[in-house]
Amino acid sequence: MRYDNVPTVCPYCGAGCRLYLQILDQEIIGVLPVKSHAVSQGKLCIKGWNAQEFVPHKDRLLKPLIKRNGRFEEASWDEALEIVAKRLKDYPPEAVAVLSSAKCTNEENFLMQKFARVVLGTNNVDHCARLCHASTVVGLVKSFGSGAMTNSIPELENSKCILVIGSNTAEQHPLVARYIMRAKEKGATLIVADPRKITLTHFADFHLPQRPGTDVALLNGLMNVIISEGLENKDFIAERTENFEALKDMVKKYTPDKVERITGVPKDKLIQAARAYAKSPASAIVYSMGITQHTTGVDNVVSCANLAMLTGNIGKPGTGVNPLRGQVNVQGACDLGALPNVYSGYQSVADENIRKKFEDAWHVKLPPKPGLTVVEMMKEAEKGNLKALYIMGENPMVSDPDIGHVKKGLENLDFLVVQDIFMSETAALADIVLPAAAYAERDGTMTSTDRRVQLLNKAIEPAGESKPDWLIICELAKKMGSREFDYSSTSDIMDEMARLTPLYGGMSYERLRVRELQWPCPTKDHPGTPILHKEKFTRGKGQFLPIEFKEPAELPDEDYPFILTTGRTIFHFHTGTMSRRVSALNREVPTGYVEINSKDAEKIGIKDGNVVSITTRRGTIQIKTKITPRVNEGVVFIPFHFAECAANILTNPALDPTAKIPEFKVCACRVEKG
Amino acid sequence: MEDEIRRHCKGLLSEKKIDVIWGLREKDGFVAPYLFQNPEELDSLVVSSKYPLSFTCRPSKETILSILQKKKPGLKIGVIARGCDERALIELAKSEQINLDLIEIIGFACDREQAQECVCFKPFPQNLKFGTKVEGIAEEKAFQDLMATELKGRLKFWHDQLSKCIKCYGCRNACPMCFCKDCRMEQSVYTETGWLPPEFPLFQFVRFYHMADRCIECGECEKACPMDIPLRKITKYLRSKMKEIFGYQAGLDPKQKSPILTTLDEDPLKEFQDEI
Repeated sequence: MRYDNVPTVCPYCGAGCRLYLQILDQEIIGVLPVKSHAVSQGKLCIKGWNAQEFVPHKDRLLKPLIKRNGRFEEASWDEALEIVAKRLKDYPPEAVAVLSSAKCTNEENFLMQKFARVVLGTNNVDHCARLCHASTVVGLVKSFGSGAMTNSIPELENSKCILVIGSNTAEQHPLVARYIMRAKEKGATLIVADPRKITLTHFADFHLPQRPGTDVALLNGLMNVIISEGLENKDFIAERTENFEALKDMVKKYTPDKVERITGVPKDKLIQAARAYAKSPASAIVYSMGITQHTTGVDNVVSCANLAMLTGNIGKPGTGVNPLRGQVNVQGACDLGALPNVYSGYQSVADENIRKKFEDAWHVKLPPKPGLTVVEMMKEAEKGNLKALYIMGENPMVSDPDIGHVKKGLENLDFLVVQDIFMSETAALADIVLPAAAYAERDGTMTSTDRRVQLLNKAIEPAGESKPDWLIICELAKKMGSREFDYSSTSDIMDEMARLTPLYGGMSYERLRVRELQWPCPTKDHPGTPILHKEKFTRGKGQFLPIEFKEPAELPDEDYPFILTTGRTIFHFHTGTMSRRVSALNREVPTGYVEINSKDAEKIGIKDGNVVSITTRRGTIQIKTKITPRVNEGVVFIPFHFAECAANILTNPALDPTAKIPEFKVCACRVEKG
Repeated sequence: MEDEIRRHCKGLLSEKKIDVIWGLREKDGFVAPYLFQNPEELDSLVVSSKYPLSFTCRPSKETILSILQKKKPGLKIGVIARGCDERALIELAKSEQINLDLIEIIGFACDREQAQECVCFKPFPQNLKFGTKVEGIAEEKAFQDLMATELKGRLKFWHDQLSKCIKCYGCRNACPMCFCKDCRMEQSVYTETGWLPPEFPLFQFVRFYHMADRCIECGECEKACPMDIPLRKITKYLRSKMKEIFGYQAGLDPKQKSPILTTLDEDPLKEFQDEI
């Protein structure tokens, strides 16, 4: 008899809670929270408490599958990898692409981008960060020089004022909400800017219900009040920032009256919230998809950065601009270079010196031109320019906007490989499906939203013949003739990552085994960095960028009178491949629904629980109604987890011009009976 | 004390007086329950951290010691127990979840600091082998302030507190006594499923009601709550009322039966009638 508690990281959101998997004789018998963990402190949300259930699920993929005559047949690893290796070689580098995964480890993401660049010879590598925080990475780099959460989660507890904008924190990052609630109970002022009456609004001092897509106007309005009342931090602006005058000129126009007209937020509330934020000794901004998933995603992010710099709320405990990342390792997947324009540590592929460094390390000539992003890949596939796609642990058939076109794109590929733990909606379209090991079955590291690198420990053997993703990549690379994928363990991979990536330079398994490290951690004796931009910004001076308000790409009109906005619930996660295989979560929420205000429901003549059709210019879905005051009149909300009533059949694939993030949060729709 | 306990346990294992030791292990800075099977392993045994030793494993909904006892019938388990751990074992045995005859309680006392941190009414086990008893803290202290306020204020207090709930079920999951296969908290009869916050106040109160005669006051429910809902103001109140009305305290005497069970087929207690 052998019992053990194996410390790992919860596989869901970016809060990065740690938990023990309880193992009795190679079987997971339960989950225990880790009391000593800095963030989770022995607490978990419902998803974390049930994180073990999907691991041994009967639907797990246990053998490689090859599609022949439209049907999947089981195959050996050797046969399946042989075909993948041979087929991928058939295409020129610009006609192949890979999607890496925010559910996989840092090591696996590092290897995936290395595989794309070294073996396939392409920078066509991206992952779903494109769909959640691409605008954060771009926006915060412009303003600060570093595109990540500036402070640490537990610090929020000591904030004196917290502005939560576009983040349903209690549901999407429950253990982050813990610290917001603790701050509130210690007397902090809580401002919640959200079109919906989300859980946190019950506790907010000010709820600013902006019309979806008007965040820039709202943030400019707050800055207008602060400057016109002389509440800006003049010392901080003078010493630490540049380009203030341009910002000052621009926000002049955004008077409370004008902002009320654009956003629908009463001007009195706006003024009071602005004063509270500016006057508190430590104010923090917390944001998430409500800011990023817009055609103005970068503008929204930059406006948050402007507001924080204006009041000097950067570089001190309990302050900062704090984007909450959606998936457990979406921070790490970006950090380790699963992006088309950068290697690990945000080192540009276009920079000759950097490219030379990686070429020397990997003994190969590397392509200088940045590759395709997720949504562009789907468009190129539909046009027939992209021929082969290798997807590791992602499910664009539910996660991407305008699924109708995603499907056309994927079906138009010559060759699609999907590596996953379940037969996802995307895997079903593949030519080859490779069974991957689940989080409990592998070693590696993950980086949570506050740049906290944490160790995953293998608790049990992989199900069936499934293998950890890093091992699959190595075996495939070797089959394709590369000698650059010889690793004996994930610790080996970390050592290479550390050598090539200054942000992770001082990290090793030896150190991470006993404590987490927050990047930047450049040297072996560096303790890690809980707060960024303390003495100076990563880029030197913080840069104010004046941003004008722009309307969303698609606005309601006569034919499509409602605004559709999408998001998640606490009881499920993303495309549901994991959470919808957990009984406790299905009992809470078995399928999708559309939230609609009672006045709108009355006008259309529908009751709670009725099935309605929701139609946009992309498509139609049938879905059950939930009549609730959570949404205002004129706005409907659909959680996007559910393939059978997929919100993303409806969403608009219009992109932010620089970050290429789609506008999941606003499109125009029509609601009809039946 | 830690060294003493280690030595004692090594002796028990090497002399084969018991088969395994169930206690806390520290590995790479992580402290968690562990099944010690040979004497060498016991160097990593710790007692300084507080981590409950009885918990219900999910989804099987069985208490860990019951799983171990079923897996190896006849297994003699030594349990390194604080006061609350012992109370859990006694109460689990009363509910026929574990066989106490096959468990040797190796009890140790919590120090004053730990007792205060846990607001523990009895920070030592009956089977005390190691450490020195310190006095417990009266349960009434936890709810006196609140009870001194008027009813309306209390209602508002609980309405505000319970509205923070994010339905993690952590209070139930962390509870050594929550092993029901058919948990009322999960049933839509009591609370509409799928929404935050759960309807006031039934989601939590259906559990409190079930815990009235079972709560052993380890405080794990409150410690597991991500939103810091002061659940023990209620659990302690319930315990004190059980003591006052029925003279009953869960977790102390393996032979004492719950009055809630024993009075079902009799007339309701007269004094309780008066009370309400």
